Amino acid sequence: MLNVKINEIRLNNITLLKDINFKLENNRIYTIIGPNGSGKSTLINSLTCLLDKRFYSINGKVIFHNKDLLSITYEELLVIRKNFIKYVFQDAINSFDPLKKFEFYFKIFSKNEVDIESLLKFFLLPDKINLSRLFPYEVSGGMAQRIGFVLALLNEPEILILDEPTSGIDSAIANLFLLKIRQFASQKNNIVLLVTHDIKFAQKASHEIAFLANRSISKFTSIDNFSLDQGSEFADFNKIQNELV
Amino acid sequence: MNFLLRLENIGYSAPENSVKNKYRKKTILSQINFELEKGKILGIAGESGSGKTTLAKIIAGIVLPTEGKIFSNFADGWQKLKPYPVQILFQNNGEILNPLRNVEKIIDESLRIRYKNKQIDNEKERIFHLLNIPVSIRNRKGFELSGGEQQRIALARIIASNPELLILDEPFSAQDPISQLNLLKILKQINSEFGITIICIAHNLTILNNLCDDMIILYNGEIVEKDSVNKIFESPGHPYTKFLLKASNYNLSYEEISQEIYLINY
Repeated sequence: MLNVKINEIRLNNITLLKDINFKLENNRIYTIIGPNGSGKSTLINSLTCLLDKRFYSINGKVIFHNKDLLSITYEELLVIRKNFIKYVFQDAINSFDPLKKFEFYFKIFSKNEVDIESLLKFFLLPDKINLSRLFPYEVSGGMAQRIGFVLALLNEPEILILDEPTSGIDSAIANLFLLKIRQFASQKNNIVLLVTHDIKFAQKASHEIAFLANRSISKFTSIDNFSLDQGSEFADFNKIQNELV
Repeated sequence: MNFLLRLENIGYSAPENSVKNKYRKKTILSQINFELEKGKILGIAGESGSGKTTLAKIIAGIVLPTEGKIFSNFADGWQKLKPYPVQILFQNNGEILNPLRNVEKIIDESLRIRYKNKQIDNEKERIFHLLNIPVSIRNRKGFELSGGEQQRIALARIIASNPELLILDEPFSAQDPISQLNLLKILKQINSEFGITIICIAHNLTILNNLCDDMIILYNGEIVEKDSVNKIFESPGHPYTKFLLKASNYNLSYEEISQEIYLINY
């Protein structure tokens, strides 16, 4: 369970987000949707203190395993980031060091060969030996995204946070992600937090959705009730989605 | 002669990074043939890793093809010290703008190549207006913009250099639905008002359907289908096209996906 109570996130002297209160329960998939620049990435990065403290200041609490992630020591935080809360970032290729081969990442994240191979096979990627000798700029954007996903899953985290998993990949691979997300949440009693623009994907994948706009987040509601409860901005989103079909 | 570009038998293979066999090559594209008409919008869709970005780079002249020829028919040709008439907007947002530079200066720099000081302000205003860039973000710096905003500024910078052909690599992926619709309108406007030919690479087939005149489907480095958008959506010919259309509803099972996706052998 992750309990988030953030009063305010500031960048220099601008308030980016305020009054963010939500609770994530096990065995559920949550989605946050919202317009560009509304602070979705800022919010999820703040959960494990990934924001640069020289520029951002956070006032609040993020309770995980009875610890406040925003006030524990850096060493404790590293353990949490390594073993419990994992991210797949939006910009897949750039989230790898261009001067290190994929071998480097496989070595760090897991010693269990079987795990790696079976995950690579699930995501329809080449096997570990072939992948290890490639540099991040040698693979396509969609492949980098899948490799990022594999690496995030290797340590069997409790919470998986995905920033725009469907951007830059074709719908077949997105479909593959969808299956894996469902499996991850239900089989091991884990939490998934998604951030996306793709409403169709959100509706298929998640149990509960919240809308982030005007610096604050709405309550997480189940998908069926969601479209009715929300304000005009979400209605616009939905209308456009239908208009484009 | 109303074609802008003609690609004949374009192929590309990259040297493989292998210890065992240093001179083995990996084929990324082969036998690409098509003609791009002036003033049209062409969509390119296909599997991830099928060579879409490589094809875009070849057309933009960033990468030289290892086989085949490209014939171009630009209005002014290409002169030294002028911006190249093909401009490309890359997929990776977040690294396309100088994070420490302010938005107005980024656009200024691009305009200064073509205009004198007096004209710059007018032209800048026109571009900001065309791309719906709000006054509030014009004085911000690169790192203060979100992914979608950065992409729009990068597009403004490209329009400022007045290209004849604009290549967009996944322009819609970082945009929310409202911005997607706006960008769609902007692209159509750029196309009709300035007569800029556009090639758009995207995974989102519904958007391509709304935007493009013609479409190319790439699969495993080859063109498997090439037709008008209406025809492809009404009666897809190749099995992979049918699969792509079906996949956009996210209802496939694992077996269906794994049968269709080509596993790249590195």
